Amino acid sequence: MPDIRLPAETKYKTELDALAAHDSRPRPPGWRLSPRAVETYILGSDTPVGGVKISPKYVGDRSLVQVCIATLASDRALMLVGEPGTAKSWLSEHLCAAISGTSSLIIQGTAGTSEDHIKYAWNYALLLSLGPTPEALVPSPILRAMRAGQFARFEEVTRTSSEIQDALISLLSEKQVSIPELGRVESAQRGFNLVATANTRDRGVNEMSAALKRRFNFVTVPVVEDLEQELRIVTMREAELRSEYATGVPPSEELSRVLLTLFQELRRGVTLDGRTRVRPPETVLSTSEAISVLFNSAILAEQFGTGEVTSQELAASLLGAVSKERKEDEQALRDYMETVAKVRTGPWKSLYAESKKLLRR
Amino acid sequence: MDLTPLTQMHLFPVRHHSPRTTAVLSRWLEQVRPDVVLVEGPCDATALVEVLCDARTVPPVALLGYRTDGTQGSAMWPFAAYSPEYQALRWAREHGARAEFIDLPVGVTLTVKRTPESSSAPASGPSPVEAIARARGYRSFEEFWEADFEAPDWRPEQFRAVLLAWAAVLNMQPRDEVHRQRDAFMARRLLEVVASGVAPSRVAVVAGAAHVAAFAAGDVDLALAQRLPPAVPSTVTVIPYSFPRLSEQLGYGAGNRAPRFYQRAHDAQGDFRRATLEVLLEFAASLRGRGFTASLDDVLESYRLAMTLASLRDKQAPGLDELREATVATLCRGDASHADAFLWKSVIGHQVGQVSSRAGRNPLQQEFWHEVDSRWLPRMDRPEPFSLQLNNALEVGTSVFLHRLRVMGVPYATHVGSTHDKRNEEQAAGGITALGRVRESWKARWTPATDAALVEKLALGITLEGVTTRVLQARLDAAKTTGAAAEILLESVLTGCSRTVDAALRAVDSHAAMDEDLCSLASAARALFGLMAYGSSRTRSELGDDAVAALGQRTFTQALLRVREACGSPAHDVFLVSNALRTLHEAALSQPLADKEGWLAEARGLMASTEVNPTFSGLAMGLLYLARELPEDAVALALERRLSRAVAPGASALFLEGYLQVNALALVRNREVVRTLDVFLRGLRAEHFIQALPMLRRAFGALSDAERRHLLQHVTALAQSNEAASPPKLDAKEQAAMRDLNADLGKMLDDLDGLL
Ligand SMILES: Nc1ncnc2c1ncn2[C@@H]1O[C@H](COP(=O)(O)OP(=O)(O)OP(=O)(O)O)[C@@H](O)[C@H]1O
Ligand SMILES: [Mg+2]
Repeated sequence: MPDIRLPAETKYKTELDALAAHDSRPRPPGWRLSPRAVETYILGSDTPVGGVKISPKYVGDRSLVQVCIATLASDRALMLVGEPGTAKSWLSEHLCAAISGTSSLIIQGTAGTSEDHIKYAWNYALLLSLGPTPEALVPSPILRAMRAGQFARFEEVTRTSSEIQDALISLLSEKQVSIPELGRVESAQRGFNLVATANTRDRGVNEMSAALKRRFNFVTVPVVEDLEQELRIVTMREAELRSEYATGVPPSEELSRVLLTLFQELRRGVTLDGRTRVRPPETVLSTSEAISVLFNSAILAEQFGTGEVTSQELAASLLGAVSKERKEDEQALRDYMETVAKVRTGPWKSLYAESKKLLRR
Repeated sequence: MDLTPLTQMHLFPVRHHSPRTTAVLSRWLEQVRPDVVLVEGPCDATALVEVLCDARTVPPVALLGYRTDGTQGSAMWPFAAYSPEYQALRWAREHGARAEFIDLPVGVTLTVKRTPESSSAPASGPSPVEAIARARGYRSFEEFWEADFEAPDWRPEQFRAVLLAWAAVLNMQPRDEVHRQRDAFMARRLLEVVASGVAPSRVAVVAGAAHVAAFAAGDVDLALAQRLPPAVPSTVTVIPYSFPRLSEQLGYGAGNRAPRFYQRAHDAQGDFRRATLEVLLEFAASLRGRGFTASLDDVLESYRLAMTLASLRDKQAPGLDELREATVATLCRGDASHADAFLWKSVIGHQVGQVSSRAGRNPLQQEFWHEVDSRWLPRMDRPEPFSLQLNNALEVGTSVFLHRLRVMGVPYATHVGSTHDKRNEEQAAGGITALGRVRESWKARWTPATDAALVEKLALGITLEGVTTRVLQARLDAAKTTGAAAEILLESVLTGCSRTVDAALRAVDSHAAMDEDLCSLASAARALFGLMAYGSSRTRSELGDDAVAALGQRTFTQALLRVREACGSPAHDVFLVSNALRTLHEAALSQPLADKEGWLAEARGLMASTEVNPTFSGLAMGLLYLARELPEDAVALALERRLSRAVAPGASALFLEGYLQVNALALVRNREVVRTLDVFLRGLRAEHFIQALPMLRRAFGALSDAERRHLLQHVTALAQSNEAASPPKLDAKEQAAMRDLNADLGKMLDDLDGLL
């Protein structure tokens, strides 16, 4: 089986190469592309560049992407914050791929993240045989990024301990790592920077210090409000997933629309026409969740269904997604079905019927 | 008439409220040095140029034109210091040139505005200017304008040419008839000035770009001026204006989006970088004042980001968009709500203008005195009582007027309610009871505070209805519950504010489904049904009675959904919930639209439930019994079960209390019921009896004498039948004693009442 989850710089190499070849604007030091070309890469372009169509990666506000790029171009670290599943990691990956040519210098923040992970560690076998030498040193992704003048990524920063956050402050303000064992200090090459992500639902667990906040510019990646836009995103990403995994059958536009209408209404707590309030569940009904519900239905339909995605698969996937965390959410979904879905026509009818079967038990 | 003089004049096209236009215009006037400066603006306001340019007048100010024939209608022409028209007037005054307004007189504008054809909205889709802006990669025409017109430092000739070219493009679209008529009207004024002997080369014309483009092209049909409607009676005055109000002038765009920001740019001779930095410094200070960290470093970072963003977008200087985005990313750490709450205030500003001298009544005062005079209402500084019969349009109109003043907070008339409680007077004036009133008593008294308040309120609007609408709207925005929104709905009806009637209906609607508070929902449902029954002719709602009915039904249904939870949770106030249940019950029985079956089902559920506070079970049973929805034997059965020894005596007492709350007759009507009760009471152990006593006292205390007698008859009858079963029989003497005992018992109950 081929490596299905290729990093962005590999998967979109053709696009990146074409953009680089046709980029006449000035590039900030260490950048592979000019800010404008990065923008084009992220948002896509209708007109092909050097014969290559540039597909949209992030679908959303152009100015948001511009603020990200302007931040990085002015040598500031970037913090992407937002609700789960809003494409923070996705944006980070593509920004790094486009600007530094790599999205793999990545640290996953957890409560257990230690200073080794963000500075350097030692290969103990070599350390014992050679003593503290450069060969025995295992650089962290951040140190590697500093050496190469590239971007490092730090996922879920807020989950790390405050000591790690403090260490990060000095890394970012001094842009250097001192290695006392080797008696040297390594300074970042130009082009080094950091793209971090943080989940707003995590905040409060480990509130970021004011000092650390000051090292970043913050961009809030919003939940997609517009139905058509979210429909576009979900359809696009779900199709990409099916082709990456070579499985599943395409769901109809009609059903996708029903699903996203339901997602948006539950998320907002009110129907799209603003007439009926509904109780939102605790589960985060993110765009990303919608993608996986749809993808899951596509697989169910192929594996166990008629080969066509119907309300049955949709209801099953939906119930799995919504109520896997909390029982109350099942009630919220039931309420929604009774007050909203029940009175609607078309595919809602069968969705209502199918979910009623599953919810009754 | 010959149009050539038009093209020989010095024409300067402007965009209203544009600081760049103003900066360029000032330089241009210095070059041209005209003797006469003709400015777009109502020609009957020329006399007010003196007031506008007076040293004691401080912008923002506005010309306010309004009808004086009793019909609604007004228009404002606001000026900021950075408005080109205002600067043109000032330049003229400072240089001894003659300054005149040349546009339609107020009386014509007001009729033209009211003609529907002229307000024909542009066809769907973005307007041509928006389309051009989008094609250039901007998000809006305003962003485009700011980047391409405000930011660059133009030379007057370039700027004129560019603006004229733009206007010519726009004028290729079919122009609104009214605009062409205004072209014609203004052109006539220009030609008249020339005809009066002024050389065209000594005249400067400062007007909107589209008009100037038409003059420059000689594309004016003078005859069109004849098609203008005749003027309605009107007058025009200068009033203070404010930056927040200026920012509400949607549709004008340019500097109106953020008056304070543009004022800064204006003060800095069009340097938007400097304006950006100044706003950032002020904003950081205001963040610090609120306890947030906002260092100078952050400000500089923010400024740097704004500049980088501007250059990424090929703009010469940051504009509002860059300012906002940079602030959010840096100072606000990604939280746009801070920027919108505080930054927006710093760019909009709160400055209020001043108008020199110029006394005279403002429109609110005029309307007030007109109403007072025409309705023969008290106009003296001493209290005068009077009453209104609300069965004719005239007196209903008076009532509406007085309720408006009350809601606005203009001290004049107080409603004299039936209540003696001073604190409740205000509340009693409005609300559901007011709707059903056929007669209202008032006491009115004019004081200087009345007029003072009317002047103050001018900031909120220029008609009593307008101000009331705003006040109600603000209260509506603050209303957190369905009940609160419904209260405003009723106020809106009483004050004849159709706009808030609609808005309040919508608010009730949107609160209803999320509202978990049974009491709020129930009172809202009652208000809505009440509105249907009494006030429908007064709602003047665009949504119509059907909407009220549907909403009432929905709110009622929502309330039903909350019944269980409210009755089950100990957190709720028993008294309030009981009231809500009674309200629902009344509505269910009396309002054809209410879901009666739904309520009855809910009530039966409550009655049977052991999960809810037993008071409510009892109450529900009482209500059902009273509504003849429950046969007597079912009541007896339920009572027996609830009052049986297996149930904790406390719970039994609560159940009983709820039941007896409804209507004591329901209790005393049926002998079986009385028997069950009797058995229960007799069976109580002393300490339980004492516990139950306050409750029993409340229940029996509510009985009328007749009901008490009825009850005692049952009790004695029961006692007798008990005796009958077991000899010896009572003889005549004993029976007489028994009768005495009855009387004693009745007295005892009375005493007990007084005692407890
Ligand atoms: N606006 C969008 N444009 C394109 N893809 C989107 C968008 N929103 C969500 N997605 C898709 O949703 C998926 C989830 O994204 P991602 O994992 O980056 O979310 P996240 O914000 O990092 O979530 P978490 O906080 O849980 O880590 C990705 O597959 C991404 O393509
Ligand atoms: Mg992530």
